[in-house]
Amino acid sequence: MKMRNILLTVMSTTLLIFASCTKKQDTNERVLNLVSITEIKGYDPIMANDLYSGREISKIYEGLLNYHWLKVPYELQPNLAEAMPEASKDGLTYTFKIRPGIKFQDDIAFPEGKGREVLASDFVYSIKRLADSKNQAEGWWVLDGKLKGLNEWRDKNAKLPAANYDEEVEGVKATDKYTIQFKLKKVFPQFLYGLAMPYTYVVAKEAVDKYGKEFINHPVGTGPYVLPKFDQGKRIIYTKNPTFREKFYPSDSSPELKHLLADAGKRLPLVDKIIVNVMIESQPAWLKLNKGEIDTYSIPKDNFATAVKDNKLSPELINKGLALSITPMLDLTYTAFNYDNKLFQNTKLRKAMYMAFDEAKSNELFYNNTAFPAQSVIPPGIAGNIKGYINPFKGPNLEGAKKMLAEAGYPDGKGLPEITYDIADSTTSRQMAEFFQKQMEQIGIKIKVQASPWPEFLAKQKKRSLQMFGAAWGADYPDAENFLQLLYGPNASPGANSSNYNNPQFNKDFEAAVAMQDSPERTARYEKLNKFLAEDVVVMFNNHRQSYSLTQGWLRNYHYSDLNLDYVQYLNLDTAKKAELLKKF
Amino acid sequence: MAATAVTNTVTNQSKSLWRHAWSTIIGNRLSCIALIIVVFYFTLALLTFMGVIAGDWGKEIGPSYSPPSAEYIFGTDIFGRSVFLKMIKGAETAIAIGLATSAITIVIGTILGMIAGYFGGIIDELIVWFYTTISAIPGIMLLVAIAFIMGKGTSTVFISLGITSWVGLCRILRGEVMRHKDREYSQAASALGAGSFRKLFKHILPNITHVIIINFSLTFEMAIKSEVILSYLGLGVQGRPSWGTMIDDSKLELSRGVWWQLAAATFAMFFIVLAFNVLGDALRDALDPKLKGK
Repeated sequence: MKMRNILLTVMSTTLLIFASCTKKQDTNERVLNLVSITEIKGYDPIMANDLYSGREISKIYEGLLNYHWLKVPYELQPNLAEAMPEASKDGLTYTFKIRPGIKFQDDIAFPEGKGREVLASDFVYSIKRLADSKNQAEGWWVLDGKLKGLNEWRDKNAKLPAANYDEEVEGVKATDKYTIQFKLKKVFPQFLYGLAMPYTYVVAKEAVDKYGKEFINHPVGTGPYVLPKFDQGKRIIYTKNPTFREKFYPSDSSPELKHLLADAGKRLPLVDKIIVNVMIESQPAWLKLNKGEIDTYSIPKDNFATAVKDNKLSPELINKGLALSITPMLDLTYTAFNYDNKLFQNTKLRKAMYMAFDEAKSNELFYNNTAFPAQSVIPPGIAGNIKGYINPFKGPNLEGAKKMLAEAGYPDGKGLPEITYDIADSTTSRQMAEFFQKQMEQIGIKIKVQASPWPEFLAKQKKRSLQMFGAAWGADYPDAENFLQLLYGPNASPGANSSNYNNPQFNKDFEAAVAMQDSPERTARYEKLNKFLAEDVVVMFNNHRQSYSLTQGWLRNYHYSDLNLDYVQYLNLDTAKKAELLKKF
Repeated sequence: MAATAVTNTVTNQSKSLWRHAWSTIIGNRLSCIALIIVVFYFTLALLTFMGVIAGDWGKEIGPSYSPPSAEYIFGTDIFGRSVFLKMIKGAETAIAIGLATSAITIVIGTILGMIAGYFGGIIDELIVWFYTTISAIPGIMLLVAIAFIMGKGTSTVFISLGITSWVGLCRILRGEVMRHKDREYSQAASALGAGSFRKLFKHILPNITHVIIINFSLTFEMAIKSEVILSYLGLGVQGRPSWGTMIDDSKLELSRGVWWQLAAATFAMFFIVLAFNVLGDALRDALDPKLKGK
C-alpha cells in the first residue's frame, strides 16, 4: 500500500514537470527562433573569422558597407556610409561620407548611459584596432599591406607597451566629422569588400576601454539588435535596439527575388526579438523544427532521404506549411596536400590520387547528390569560374590513375610510404575519411586516418604538421581573389593557404590579376589562373555545396545567403499564420 | 594389496582448488554456457586475427544501407560493407582490448598491492596515497584526458583503460597480503630463510591467485564496455571495425531508419558482457575459500 502511494506521488510529480516543460508557444509574440550550429566565439568584430560568429556580430554591429538583400549576384551598398565612396582616378584613394545622426546603443560605457553619435574618427579607431598587433586580430589579413602607413604604424606600436591611437596614419584619416579617407598603397579593388566584413565594423572606444578583456562579451554597436543580457549559454536572446536609426526594407530587387518585396519601404528591423539556439547536434534541431519551435534550418544529411524526393518536400512537411529553398553556396570543399612534404611535389602522384577518387559516389553518400562536383577552385557564380569546364584529372578513372601512379614512380603504390590523412573529430568526418581511405586503397595507396578535436586540428594546420586533410572554404566576398588566395605563396600557414603551396609564377600572375579593376580582361586572367590550378591538381577539388534550407510557413522574406550576415533584420513573421499552422504540428 | 592402495588414493584424493573450481563451473549449467560463450568469442577473435574469417570485411558486398535480408544478414553499412562481418571483426577488437587492458591492470594492481600489503609502513602509505589520488579523479575524465594526450588509436584505448582501472585490484590484494603474511606457512618460509621476494611470489602469490582471476574476468568485461563508450565519444579505435564505432555511426543513421548497425553491435556485446558477468560470479563462488560450503 505504502509502495503504491510513493509510486503515485512520483508519477504525478513527473507528469507535472513534463506538463510545465511543454509550455505552449505564445504566437502573438513577434519573436524569431533561429539556430546556430556552432558555439559563438564572442562578439568582438576583429575576431569574427567564422560564418557563425559573423552572423551573431552582425546583429549588433555594422560597417560602412553591406550587401543588398535582394540583389543577385551580390551587390555592395552603403550601410553606415551615406553613399558609395568617391574613388580617385588612380584608384588609390576612397573617400566616404558617413550618415550623420547614427548612434551607438545605450550602454553604461557612455556618460549617463546614453549612446553617443558615431563619427568618422570612430572608424579610424576601429581600423587601427584591427591593425594593433596586441589585439591579435583574426582579420588583419584584410588590411595587411593595403593601406599607406598602416603596416608601419603596426610594427612601430608593436614594440610600445600600448599602441598610440592618436598618431596619424596616412592611409586612414578622418578629414572632418563625417568624412573618412582611405589611401591604398597599390590598386586593390577588392578593398571595398573588406569594408562589408565584420572585421571593419565600427566599435566605440569608450566600450573597448571600459570592458577591456571582457569587451568580447559586451557588444556595444549601432545595429538593429542589442544583447540585453551577456554571458548567455545555449540560448541567446536579442531585443530590438530602441535607438536604431531609420533604415527601410529595400524597394528594388533582382527579378529572381521579386517575391520578397511585400515589406518594401517598411522600417527595419521587422521583428522585436530574436532567440538563437546553439545546437551543435543536428537531430535535436531537426526535431525542434518539426515541432514548429524553430523557424528555419538546413536539412541534416541523414534526414534528407525522408524529407526530400526529386528536389520536392515530402507531403507531410508540405502539409505543415514548410517550404524548401535550394541555393548554391559560394564555397569549395577540397582535400589538401601539405607542400612542405616533398612527396606531394610529385605532380603525377597528386594527379593519380585525384583520378582514383570517385566524387560522384562521395556526393551520393555524404551530400545526397546535392553538391556540384568542383573542377577547380573558383565556384560557379563568381567571375573566373569556367562554365562547362571539366578537369581532365577528375576521377573516377582507375586505369588512368594506376598508369599515372606508375609514371609517378610508384607502380601499384610500391615504394610509397603510408600517408596520414587528418580529420577533425566527428562521425561524418570519420566516415568521409574512411571513404577516402577505401578509394586510395584501390590503386595501392595506404592511408592512415588520424582524428583530433577541432581546435587541435586547426592548431596542427597552423603549425604545418598535417600531411593531407579535408578542408572547406566559404566566400568572404564575391571575388575570385578570395579563392585564388588559398594557394598564394605568401598566404601560407598560419595564413589561409594551409597547403603551403608556393609557385613563384602563380604568385606573380595572381598579384597582377588582383590589382586590376573588374573587367573582361581580369576575368580572363582569373580563368587562366583557375585552369592552371586545376590542371596542376594543386589540391583535390571536391565539391561546391548547395544549401537546402527549410523555412516555416510563417517566416517571411527569407532566402539563403552566404554574404548577407546581417540578414535577420529583413526577416518578418506572420503571427496569424503561425497560430493557424501550429495547430497542425 | 599395493594395487588396492593405489586405487584408494585415487578415489580419496582431495581435490585441488583448481580442480574443484573446474568441476563447480562444469557442474552448473549457467556458468557452463557462459564459459562456452567466452571460449566461442575468443576462438572467433583468434580466427579473425589470423584472417581465416571476416578478412574481407572492408569489401563492398551490396548497395549502401541495405536492410537485413537472406542475402545480407544484418544488412550493409554506408559503404555497402557487411554489418555481419564488421560485427565479427569487432569481436577481435573487443577481445584484444579486453586482454591488453586486463593484463596492464593485473600487472600494476598486483605488484603495487602486494608490495603495499607486505612491506607496510611508508611504502604502504605512499601507494595508498597514490591510488587514492587516482581514484579521486572521475574515471571517464581521466580516460578522455589520456586519450587526448596520446592521440587516438587502439593502443591508446587499452593503455588508458589499463592505467585507470587497477585501483580496485590493488586495494583488495593489499588486504589479502596483509592477512597472509603472518600465516603459519609464511612464517615457516621465513624460518627456512626465504627472503621477502621469495615469500611474496613463491608462497603468498599462489594463495591469492583466485582474487586476480576473478578480477581479470570483471576487468575484461569493463574494458569491452569502456571501449564502446570511448569509440562512441570519438576517442577510440580508428580504421578498423569496433562495436563502439558501429554505435557511433548509428547515432546519425537511426534517423534514416538504419537500425541494424546498432542492433548488431548491441547483440554481439550483450552476450559477451553477460557471459563474463556470469563467469565472474561462478569463478568467485568456486575459488573463494570463504564462500566454500555456502
